Amino acid sequence: MTFCLSGVGSFTKLWKSKSVWLGPGHSYLCLFLTEFCGIRNHQRWFSLKKTCLQNTKSINLLIAKARHLKKDEDSSKHVSSGFSGLFSAGAAKKRSQMNRQNKDHELPPVKNTIQLPTKPLRSEDWDKLKEDFKGKVSFESWISSQMAHHHSSVDVAKSLLAWVASKNNGIVGYDLLVKYLYLCVFHKQTSEVIDIYEIMKARYKNLEPGAYTLLIRGLIHSDRWGEALLLLEDIKKIMIPSRKNYDDCIQGALLHQDVDIAWNLYQELLSHNLIPMLETLKAFFDFGKDIKDDHYSNKLLDILLYLRNNQLYPGESFAHSIKTWFESVPGQQWKGQFTTIQKSGQCSSCGKTIESIELSPEEYEFLTGKIMKDVIDGGDQYKKTTPWELKTFEKFVKSCPPFDIVIDGLNVAKMFPKARESQVLLELVSQLAKQNLRLLVLGRKHMLKKSSRWRKDEMEMVQKQASCFFADDISKDDPFLLYATLHSGNHCKFVTKDLMRDHKACLPDAKTQRLFFKWQQGHQLAIRNKFPGSKMIFQHILIYNTVVQTTGDSWHIPYDEDLVERYSYEVPTKWLCLHQKT
Amino acid sequence: MSISITLSPFARFLMPFTLQRKSKNLYSTILQRYMSSKILSVSYHKESTSSPQQVELDGWKATMKSRVQEDVSPVSSNDHEDPLAATRELIEMWRLLGKEVPEHITEDELKIIMECPSKSSRKKYLKYLYVKEKLKKASKIKKEMKAAAREEFKKKLLETSEADKQQQNFLFLRLWDRNMNMAMGWKGAQAMQFGQPLVFDMAYENYMKRKELQNAVSQLLESEGWNRKDVDPFHIYFCNLKPDGAYQRELITRYGEKWDKLLITTTEKSYVDLFPKDSIIYLTADSPNVMTTFQHDKIYIVGSFVDRHMQPGTSLANAKRLKLATECLPLDKYLQWDIGTKNLTLDQMIRILLCLKNTGSWEEALKFVPRRKHAGYLEISQYSQEFINRIKKAKTFNLFSKGSLNVHTQKKCLK
Repeated sequence: MTFCLSGVGSFTKLWKSKSVWLGPGHSYLCLFLTEFCGIRNHQRWFSLKKTCLQNTKSINLLIAKARHLKKDEDSSKHVSSGFSGLFSAGAAKKRSQMNRQNKDHELPPVKNTIQLPTKPLRSEDWDKLKEDFKGKVSFESWISSQMAHHHSSVDVAKSLLAWVASKNNGIVGYDLLVKYLYLCVFHKQTSEVIDIYEIMKARYKNLEPGAYTLLIRGLIHSDRWGEALLLLEDIKKIMIPSRKNYDDCIQGALLHQDVDIAWNLYQELLSHNLIPMLETLKAFFDFGKDIKDDHYSNKLLDILLYLRNNQLYPGESFAHSIKTWFESVPGQQWKGQFTTIQKSGQCSSCGKTIESIELSPEEYEFLTGKIMKDVIDGGDQYKKTTPWELKTFEKFVKSCPPFDIVIDGLNVAKMFPKARESQVLLELVSQLAKQNLRLLVLGRKHMLKKSSRWRKDEMEMVQKQASCFFADDISKDDPFLLYATLHSGNHCKFVTKDLMRDHKACLPDAKTQRLFFKWQQGHQLAIRNKFPGSKMIFQHILIYNTVVQTTGDSWHIPYDEDLVERYSYEVPTKWLCLHQKT
Repeated sequence: MSISITLSPFARFLMPFTLQRKSKNLYSTILQRYMSSKILSVSYHKESTSSPQQVELDGWKATMKSRVQEDVSPVSSNDHEDPLAATRELIEMWRLLGKEVPEHITEDELKIIMECPSKSSRKKYLKYLYVKEKLKKASKIKKEMKAAAREEFKKKLLETSEADKQQQNFLFLRLWDRNMNMAMGWKGAQAMQFGQPLVFDMAYENYMKRKELQNAVSQLLESEGWNRKDVDPFHIYFCNLKPDGAYQRELITRYGEKWDKLLITTTEKSYVDLFPKDSIIYLTADSPNVMTTFQHDKIYIVGSFVDRHMQPGTSLANAKRLKLATECLPLDKYLQWDIGTKNLTLDQMIRILLCLKNTGSWEEALKFVPRRKHAGYLEISQYSQEFINRIKKAKTFNLFSKGSLNVHTQKKCLK
C-alpha cells in the first residue's frame, strides 16, 4: 500500500497524522493481545499483512510493544520470585534494558514507489509498470525479488513469467524460475512445484543448492517425495548439505511413514558433525506418539542424551512434544509437569535433587590442565605474562594454603565509578575477612603506587587481611585468577563481574568450553550492589547443573521459553519434570 | 489496496480525498479480512474495477519443457564425476542466479575453492574473484577509451602543418623520470652509508594467512617507495627474513629484477644481533608507553604484520621476550579517535616517521592517519586541561572520607 508521493511533502507527516493510523493501529494491538493470550496461530495473523512498508513498520512496532508488555509481565513475575542469577536466561536482556534510552523510531526512506500488483496482469499492464520503474537492476529480477519478499500470490508471479516468456520467445531465466519456485513452496502449491521441477530437469543438467533446497522442501509434501532424496544426493556431490536440507528430508520421510530412512538420514547428519535443528528432533518425538515400538523409543532416549552431551535445550513447543510422547508410552505411566527448580536444587514438583554443578575429579583435573596450557600459556607465555612472573606466581600459590575466595581486585574496585577504588576494595576484603575466609587479592603493580585513587594506607589494610599478588601492569590478571581458584580446590570461589568470555574462547574445543562454563557457574561470585557503602551482596550461585538428566525412572529437562531471549552464556530457568507413577 | 499509478498526474488533487477514504476503508477492510481472512482487493483504479480477462498463464511451461536441454557449460557430461567440473558448473549456476561469482575461472582458482574449509570461506573467495574481475574489466574499458583519445589527439597534431612548428630552444631533454630515479638512487646510497636505520621485523610469517601476507608485502613495497622519494631517507633493514620463506618468495615475485638492486639491507639475522639493545625501540600499538618525541639516535622497529584475525599482543610479546623498550604513537593525545583499530598500515607508519624525522611536528606527521578513523585534532591545551581537571576531580573526591558520595555535594564542592 505505497502511495505515489508526488502530492505529499514528506512521509513523516503521513506517519504522524493520527487520523490515518490510529484506527488500524488500535485494532492491531487488540489483535495482538488476543494473540498473545493464547491463540498461537501466527499464520492466520500474518495473512493480514499487506505489502506496505509503513504498515509493516507500524505492525512491527506494535508487535514489539505487545511483546514488551508480555515481557514486562514476565519480568515482574521474575522479580517477584526474586531469583535472577548472572547466568539465568533473560538476565542480560534485562541488564541491557535497565540502561537504555528509548530511541525514536526512524522511518526508512521510501525507495521505490511501484506497488506490487495483487492480481495477475496482462502484458500491457506489465509493460506499463516497467516504464514506471526507475532502477539500476533489470525490472524483471527486481519485481520478482519484491514479490518473493512480500509473498505475492502465485498467479501474479505466474503472469509475470508468462509476460517475460512472451517477450523472450518462450524462455524464462533461471533466477526468475527460482524465485517463482520459492513462492510456490511458500504457498504450498505442490503441483506447481512439480511442474517447475520438470522444467528444471528438462532444461538444466545440474542446479545449485538454493534451487535444490527449495525443490526438496516443495517435494516432500507430494507423492514424489522419494525424488527429494535423490536431490539430496545431488547436493552431496558438490557440498555438505545444510541441516535444513536434512530436516526437510527427515520430515518428508516421517510424513510418509518411512521411519528407517528418517533415522538413517539423522545418523548421516550427525556424521557430518552438523548440529541437527531442534525442529528435526521434535518431529521424531511428534511422530513417536503413534508408534509403539521399543526400538524407536530407545532412539528417542538417545536423542535426549544427545541434548545432554551437547548442552542443548529444547524450545517450549519441543518440550511439550517430549511431554506428550512420554505420557503416550503405554504401560509406563509417565507424568509430566512444567516446573522450576528451587535454590536448594530440588525440583518443585517431585522433590528430587537435581545433579550437582560440581565437576568430577577427572573433569576438574582436565580443566585445570587446559586452563594452564591454553589460557595462561597459550603457546607464548609472553602474551599474557612472562615466564618468570608465572614461576613466581606458581611458587606463591603453592606456598600458601588453599584459599577460600579469590578476588579480582581491579574489577571489584572499579565497580562504582564515583567511589575511590582502594576504599571499595578494602570494604569488600574486610567484610569477607570477618567471616574467617582465606582471601587472595589479585591486582596489578600500579595499585601499590601512591595515587589519588589508590591510597597507601587502605592498600596496606587490604594486605593485612588477605594474601595479595600483584602482576605487572602489562600482564593480564584474569588467567592468574582462574588458575589460583582452580588450584585451591573445589570449595574455592572467585569474585568478579567479568563474564570471562574471552578466556573461554581461548579453550580449544566446545567440550572444554562447556566444562569451563559449568565450573564458572558454580564458582563465580558476582556482586549485585548498585551503590557503594552498603553491605556487599553476591549473586546467588547455582548449586545444580542445568542440563538434560535422568535417573531412569525420572527425567528433568530444562527448556527455553518462547518469549525469553537467552544469551549464549545463560541457562534456562524453566524445567520439564517427568516421573513414573509407581 | 492501491492508488493506481496511472493517477500520478492527478494525484495532487486526489490525494486529500483518497487519504480520507483510505483511512476508513483500511479500517473496514482489515476487519473484513480478519473476519473472513480472504484477500479482498479494494482498488480505486477506474479500469481494473472490471475483473481482468483471464491471462494465459501456463503457456510458457510447454515451451520451456519442449526445448532441448541447453548446455549451461562447455563441460561434457561424461566427466560428470569429476569434482572440479561439478564445482565449475555450480559456479555457473550461481552466476545465472545473479550471485557474486566470477565469469571465468582458472584451474588454480578452482583448486583453491575446492580446498576452502567452509562454505562461507568459499563464498568470500568467490566474491573476491568476482570483484577482481569487475575491476579488471573496468580498467580495460578505461584503457581503450584513453587509447582512442590519444589517437584523436595524434590526428589533430598531424593536421597542424609543419610550418606552424617554430624552432624552439630547450635547456633539457625530456628525461625527467630517469633523472629522478638516478637522484633517488644516489640519495639511497647515501642513506645506506649514513642514514638512520629503520627495521622491519619480518618474523610474523607464520602468524599470517596467504591473503594477509600478500597485503603485508604490498604495504612493504609502498613503504619502500615512500622512503625512496623522501629528502632524507631511512636506511631500511628487513630483519628475520627467512631465505626461502614465503615472505622472501612473495617479495621477489613482486620486485622482480629490482630485488637485488634495492638499496636496503635484508638479513636473516635478528635486530638484536645488529644493534645495541638499549638503542632499540619497538613500535607497537599495544605498548603502554607513549612516544613523545622522535629520537634520531634510536633504532625504531616496525613489525611487518597484517593482523586481520584478532591476535592482539603478538608484537608486544616479541618485544617482551627480548626485553626491548616499546612505544606506541600518541594517537589519543593528538586525535579525537573515532573508529577503527589503532594499528596503522606499514606505509602510513613510515610516512609518519619520515615526517617526524624531517619536521618534528606531530600535527604534521599525523596527517597520514586515515581521516575516517578520527574526528579531528585535539587542541593540546584542551588535552592537558582535561588531564588537570581529572586530577582536580580526583582530589575533590579524596576530601570525602568515607561512605556514599552523592552528586549534590560534589556539585557544591566544585562550585
